[in-house]
Amino acid sequence: MKRDRDRGNTEVAAAGGSSTGKLKMWEEQPQPDAGMDELFAVLGYKVKSTDMADVAEKLEQLEMAMGTTTEDGVSLLSTDTVHYNPSDLSGWVDSMLSEFNPTQIGISGHESSPCSSNLIYDDDLRAIPGGAIFSNYDNKRMKLQQPSPAAVPTAVLVDSQETGVRLVHTLMACAEAVQHNNMKLANALVKHVGVLAVSQIGAMRKVATYFAEALARKIYKIYPNDNSLESSYSDALQMHFYESGPYLKFAHFTANQAILEAFSGASKVHVIDFSLKQGMQWPALMQALALRPGGPPSFKLTGIGPPQPDNSDALQEVGWKLARLADTIGVEFEFKGYVANSLADLDVGIFDISPSNDESIAVNSVFELHRLMARPGGIERVLNLIKSLNPEIVTIVEQEANHNGVVFLDRFNEALHYYSTMFDSLETSGLTRPDSQDSLMTEVYLGRQICNVVACEGVERVERHETLAQWRVRMGSAGFDPVHLGSNAFKQASMLLALFGGGDGFRVEENDGCLMLGWHTRPLIATSAWRLRRV
Amino acid sequence: MAGGNEVNANESKRVVPLNTWILISNFKLAYNMLRRPDGTFNRDLNEFLDRKVPANANPVDGVYSFDVLDRATSLINRVYLSSTKNETQWGISELEKPLSTTEIVPVIVFFHGGSFVHSSANSAIYDTFCRRLVNTCKAAVVSVNYRRSPEHRYPCAYDDGWAALKWVKSISWLKSGKDVSKVHVYLAGDSSGGNIAHHVAVRAAEEGVEVLGNILLHPLFGGEERTESEKKLDGKYFVKIQDRDWYWRAYLPEGEDRDHPACNVFGSRSKSIEGLVYFPKSLVVVAGLDLLQDWQLGYVEGLKKSGHEVKLLYLEKATIGFYFLPNNDHFHCLMDEMKSDLIWVSISLHLKIVKEAFLVGFSLSRFPDRLPVMEEDVLVLIGIRLSS
Repeated sequence: MKRDRDRGNTEVAAAGGSSTGKLKMWEEQPQPDAGMDELFAVLGYKVKSTDMADVAEKLEQLEMAMGTTTEDGVSLLSTDTVHYNPSDLSGWVDSMLSEFNPTQIGISGHESSPCSSNLIYDDDLRAIPGGAIFSNYDNKRMKLQQPSPAAVPTAVLVDSQETGVRLVHTLMACAEAVQHNNMKLANALVKHVGVLAVSQIGAMRKVATYFAEALARKIYKIYPNDNSLESSYSDALQMHFYESGPYLKFAHFTANQAILEAFSGASKVHVIDFSLKQGMQWPALMQALALRPGGPPSFKLTGIGPPQPDNSDALQEVGWKLARLADTIGVEFEFKGYVANSLADLDVGIFDISPSNDESIAVNSVFELHRLMARPGGIERVLNLIKSLNPEIVTIVEQEANHNGVVFLDRFNEALHYYSTMFDSLETSGLTRPDSQDSLMTEVYLGRQICNVVACEGVERVERHETLAQWRVRMGSAGFDPVHLGSNAFKQASMLLALFGGGDGFRVEENDGCLMLGWHTRPLIATSAWRLRRV
Repeated sequence: MAGGNEVNANESKRVVPLNTWILISNFKLAYNMLRRPDGTFNRDLNEFLDRKVPANANPVDGVYSFDVLDRATSLINRVYLSSTKNETQWGISELEKPLSTTEIVPVIVFFHGGSFVHSSANSAIYDTFCRRLVNTCKAAVVSVNYRRSPEHRYPCAYDDGWAALKWVKSISWLKSGKDVSKVHVYLAGDSSGGNIAHHVAVRAAEEGVEVLGNILLHPLFGGEERTESEKKLDGKYFVKIQDRDWYWRAYLPEGEDRDHPACNVFGSRSKSIEGLVYFPKSLVVVAGLDLLQDWQLGYVEGLKKSGHEVKLLYLEKATIGFYFLPNNDHFHCLMDEMKSDLIWVSISLHLKIVKEAFLVGFSLSRFPDRLPVMEEDVLVLIGIRLSS
């Protein structure tokens, strides 16, 4: 089976979807980051080979500094200091050192220090003698490949009952038949899935049913209705999704954290929300701004939303609600709503940006940007738009999965694993009763995504989720630098999960400066923050 | 050892490659920040700093992995399997078939280290190590995400280890062998994982669950007494006695001391394992620069005195954590040893079959087609004459 993960790879020959062998895939993988030590890379650290001696020296300095500090002092490093991006070992050590003495960063080992008379000089670090070093170390021996950035690590939480496995197998076999255009076989298999699904209970049954339905639509070419007609319906569905678990709460919370930090010190702030929906993200931010020491800034919110089928002004209604809240908590508030079929239709001119450049701008997008990939040029246009807004910070929350692969079968398999985990988390966390409206509507919400990923194509297929690794590449090429979310955000997100996570299945994970919400070991949602690259 | 008693923090740099020194020093300093003098632990920051990796059902270097949630215990086990040569099957569909119907494929139940407090099955250092094990030992590996202290003290880790062992034994797709009769399990672990492996093996032997072998990598044992190696090596190679003490205080029941049977397994408070016929053979790997070596060597002696088979691999110049990176002799030595020992135990299984067959007068032609390579003297033992 082909594992074509790289974006930009051309379409595989239709009939021979699985013809490309494993060897070819490895050749096509992008090279690991230039200069990064490979051994560290597989352990999750980015250390340049040329920096290693320097990092070692700083570690030594840090140890000395910690050794001469009181226990309380060392303790402060853990409680008071905010840690960022542990993958960047060098950066982390620097930031720890700067806690002790801001002037000590980068000082060479030749500087004297009261406690040490046995300083090791640079040369000693390099001259490590003895049989401990495998001098004939062949780099190829036991070398582990770094997975390509586009490779989706799929942690599969398996219901290890045998019928569950057979059901999954049949679904995949059906998808494979579809991939090879063997519709007769696919038809037989999708019916068999229906039979097997009935014998399942709970999450497995629901997932199987949604995927089977989506496959049936693809086989019989009965495509779902046009998405744009159902926007008010989809808002309602998302509200139920909000209530059914910690997913959206995590998204809003972590994005708000980054926005708050970026807005620190500003007296006029402006948030442009690409995915306003019911505006559920903003009350919390407004509360936090209201409680800011020194008083709140004036807060402007621009919300983008799709046109409503009955031409009602849903955006203004949201704006009114938020204005009433702002009034209660004493925050100066202004709201503007813009209707657009697609973010790509927006023009920078329509935004009410203060010409005097005195407002701090944040652009926020939760589960919205991936839709732009349905049309060529869409995402590029919007990223350029964002740049021209000159924001302090751009917060992006996306599903952590690659549902935009070129090969149908790969998409199908990724989606099967992702949504299985999602449904499993909904069921097992026990946050809502299975027959409650929140539960049922959340299933419909996810079911529509499944249908879109599996049964739709072209501009109709809008659920084009991509992984954090893929977004990093895209944002980097478009001229954005990451803004790291730190240990304080991590800790608070963990506390949020303790409150809203129902049990201990949900986890926050730090990933190279970004935060991810996962169910056990499988990441589901990733929050990243960006700013314009300073040239 | 070089030098006097003066703590020379730079000795460690002379005996490990630079990457390893950086890696372990980084852990050491971070861990120093996380442990609080009052015995509490900054769990959030620990998880924040720990580099984790998701499982990957796409084979990387011939190994793929997936996580299994055991609903009965909420335990996560990460399973690592060798990808089939036939690439038309997505990994997970293999769960309908046993590992092999022609040969024995060992299943290593692995307990990661971290002094009972740090790391997880999905920590990058352990994920990487387990993947290497799959390839080197031609085994399946199941890494157990046991509950950690100080939040979950003794005996949680042992209970989780036991639950994992029982789960592994029950899984049809981990079975192998010509008659596909059972899962061929080895227990393995480094540091606290080694300690867990021992205790799980004891329980397995007591309850009649077959474990073919134990592999302990500088296992965590200790006691109230301060041994020579602890005194001599304190603070010299990444580890201080006071840190070890902290971890035991965090793991053992409150108010207990290090002579507790969990820690001092051959001490006066521990139950003897002399009668335990089914306690597995052990391979114990000791790093010569590990301050706990006297306890580990004592463990080896204890096993021998209790009548159990044990092999010691003493790596004179190795420090703790030598196996995280494949950039030194000790790493390769360990891998070679594990590979041959797994085969050794497989051979002895074959041997058992052969011996029994011989004893009831089967002819040579009825033996399995593929006899593994055996030592000369062993062949003589069972009466097979070598051709000239």
